[in-house]
Amino acid sequence: MVQAAWEKDVDKRDEIARVGKRGDRWKFLVGGLLILAAVGYLIISGTATGAQFFITVDSLTSDPSYVGQTVRVSGAVDGTTISFDRENLIIEFTMSHIPEKFDNLADALHVSVTDPTASRVPVRVEGQVLPDLLSHEAQAIVTGQMGSDGVFHATELLLKCPSRFEELRPEQIIQAHPPEQES
Amino acid sequence: MLAEVGLASVFLAFVAALYAIVVSIYGAQTHSNKFVTSARNAAVLTFPLLLISAVALVTGLITEQYQMQYVWSTTSPDMPLIFRISALWGSQAGSILFWSLLMSAFTAAALLINWHSHRRLMPYVITYTMAVLAFFLGLTLFLENPFQRIWLVGSEVAQTTFIPAGAVPPSAAQLADTANGLNPLLRHFGMVIHPPMLYLGFVGFVIPFAFAMAALASGDLSTNWIKATRRYSLIAWLFLSLGLILGGRWAYDVLGWGGYWGWDPVENAAFLPWLMGTAFLHSVMIQEKRGMLKLWNMILVIGTFSAVIFGTFATRSGLVDSVHAFARSQIGFPMFFFWATVTLISSALILWRWNRGELRDEHAFTNILSRETLFVLNNLIFVLLFIAIFWGSFGAPVISELFLETEITLGVDYFNRVTPPLFLAMFVLMGVAPVSAWGATSLRRLGRAVTVPLMLTVGFIVLVIVFGVTQLEPIAAYAIVAFAGFVALHETFRGVRARVNGLKENWLQAMLALYARNRRRYGGYVVHLGIAIIGIGIIGSTVFQTGTQQTLAVGESLDINGYQMRFNGLEAGQISGDGRIMDIANVTVSRDGRTLANLRPRRDFFPTVTNGPNSMTIAGAYSTIENDFYVLLVGWEEINANNATFKVYINPLVNLVWWGGIVLILGTFIAAWPTETVPAYVRERSRGRRDKFAGAVA
Repeated sequence: MVQAAWEKDVDKRDEIARVGKRGDRWKFLVGGLLILAAVGYLIISGTATGAQFFITVDSLTSDPSYVGQTVRVSGAVDGTTISFDRENLIIEFTMSHIPEKFDNLADALHVSVTDPTASRVPVRVEGQVLPDLLSHEAQAIVTGQMGSDGVFHATELLLKCPSRFEELRPEQIIQAHPPEQES
Repeated sequence: MLAEVGLASVFLAFVAALYAIVVSIYGAQTHSNKFVTSARNAAVLTFPLLLISAVALVTGLITEQYQMQYVWSTTSPDMPLIFRISALWGSQAGSILFWSLLMSAFTAAALLINWHSHRRLMPYVITYTMAVLAFFLGLTLFLENPFQRIWLVGSEVAQTTFIPAGAVPPSAAQLADTANGLNPLLRHFGMVIHPPMLYLGFVGFVIPFAFAMAALASGDLSTNWIKATRRYSLIAWLFLSLGLILGGRWAYDVLGWGGYWGWDPVENAAFLPWLMGTAFLHSVMIQEKRGMLKLWNMILVIGTFSAVIFGTFATRSGLVDSVHAFARSQIGFPMFFFWATVTLISSALILWRWNRGELRDEHAFTNILSRETLFVLNNLIFVLLFIAIFWGSFGAPVISELFLETEITLGVDYFNRVTPPLFLAMFVLMGVAPVSAWGATSLRRLGRAVTVPLMLTVGFIVLVIVFGVTQLEPIAAYAIVAFAGFVALHETFRGVRARVNGLKENWLQAMLALYARNRRRYGGYVVHLGIAIIGIGIIGSTVFQTGTQQTLAVGESLDINGYQMRFNGLEAGQISGDGRIMDIANVTVSRDGRTLANLRPRRDFFPTVTNGPNSMTIAGAYSTIENDFYVLLVGWEEINANNATFKVYINPLVNLVWWGGIVLILGTFIAAWPTETVPAYVRERSRGRRDKFAGAVA
């Protein structure tokens, strides 16, 4: 058998490499293909089980075919509607439609929440602690199912606040300190 | 003044980088030493220049120059010093400047250290590093300028780099009152050091990438580029690992769901370069030892760098939440364009050299059971993990959006199904590869080498079962991961024993000598051990996490997993130095009647933060090697705080994740520690000089 050659016997290693059977190549090929097939199967089956449509509040409320189907929905949180039953860990809030295209997330969220005509959906999350990020005009991304009761029952609640990387606009200086009030 | 100085030095650094690009290319074409040296000087100069602008920005942050828009939007008067400094990377404009600073530091070090030893690569290394730097400085100058100031022009507010006509600065009170401060969730020690760690990791991989590209461009396709950048790759890898672990720790401490990894696209974006980089660190060893995988290593180093740029692009452009968001951040399109250009140019260079037959391997793969084959398998697994995670976080959403007109995202279920088998395969290879030999290994030899680790693994499994784990799958997972760890330990032990028996050293001497003599191999084993420890921690804390929630009146207790937690009372409205109002629950954790700890889970409220989230839940935790008792204060009765609701998690073995991280740091230090501080040729030269000097004296 081959001598255990760690990192010392250079000549012997080269010899082994030269003598090595070329015919072994198919073993590598078959082995590699088997691994690729197995992982390919994993990814495809994982995709099939894990896939969720990512939709807007408009599509959710206008298309009844989403009822009972697990989907992800993105919307703007109306802070006045947030309620939290701390003893039973039930979070409820209403979120409103955010259009698919916008330039500034903070603006889009603000417009959505203040627009009375924007479509809205009540959301209910059970068993979760009230997240710190759940605040007025935050973007909520909820995963769950639309119930026949018209409430979206979410099992996952992700929140995004535009304040992280989107700078505030300096106009707020004037809003907070209107020029005429200055002394 | 600060803003002008900062901006001017960014501009000068940008000019220096552009100059270095042009002159280094010209110098390489004309083989002119003078020009290449000049290009190097310009490239090195970017570091002090960027240091000046970073210091200017930090000075503005510390001294509360709220007229600077960046200072105004990231800090507020109530913030302590540490968060003022860390605000440098708290928002986009500052973090790009910080990124550039780190990058110029790495570049200057790599250029100065390798100047003599890798002369042929140098002009191209300058070109590539400076091209990357110039891109980021361009972003800073033209799109994300942290030195813009706020002015009042009549009744309008302007935000500009240069002073507009007729502008006056807003009053200090106006600015200070409206300054928003850092998102409270980011006011955590983990968040202070997590971003710089990640950036160092990202930036560090620019160096091996630039050297690889220099090798392709110059035609010096030996292992020179690998040798020159080995340490940079290791250090970059270390920082990337630390960044990931610290990010997990921050999530665990702050986000209050008892976990540390959620397969969120942003997390994945940082994990992807780690996977590629880890594959690269392993496969370059094959090229050094056997002259194989030359093409593959090039692909991996480009893949790593490409993943870094892609990750930065994806997280900064808004791509991750939704692909509609290309317009959301101004830097999205330039980043994408840069990423595509870098990837295309590098791929073209590889193809060119490949067609000329210059990337052919010196050996062929001959035996399935050889160390090089196992390394290749390891690479395959890493790349497949990369593909699976990339597909789940970016591929599926983007492709479905483009071609199906509806967006499909893959949730946590996908990752929990696809990644564990691949991770376990990685651990199997981590166990077997170190005991196999180059060229070929016999099964018998392999069997002999793993006997002791296998026996240890059996012992470990018995222990696991004694502690109450009965399901087959977790036991198998524990066994595989533990085996990899035991192999690392046993190989080190064998090395030490050989020295003790052969050289009659004592055990400590032998161990130190072993690490000194073969740093990479034995340091690598320590890293393997660290990863195995992390693996055990991940299995324990994800598979066996338990939790409960309960409302307790003062004096009442709850029971979970043999622990009792008694609610002693609530201290409401405590005001801290930085202005936050804390509501703190006082609880006592005990087990079998023995008091273990008093914990203070709390909820902080930031009254000064008017825009966005202004509260922060901070868990209390009692940690032992066995598990964490992790408690969150969910809510309380408003009026007299007679009762409060708690959520309690028991996270088995979670501390191994952090401790494994420390072992990993140690191992990387051993592997990356310089063996020879002064290169041989310098020592030679200085000795010559000394002799001459001695002669003159005589």
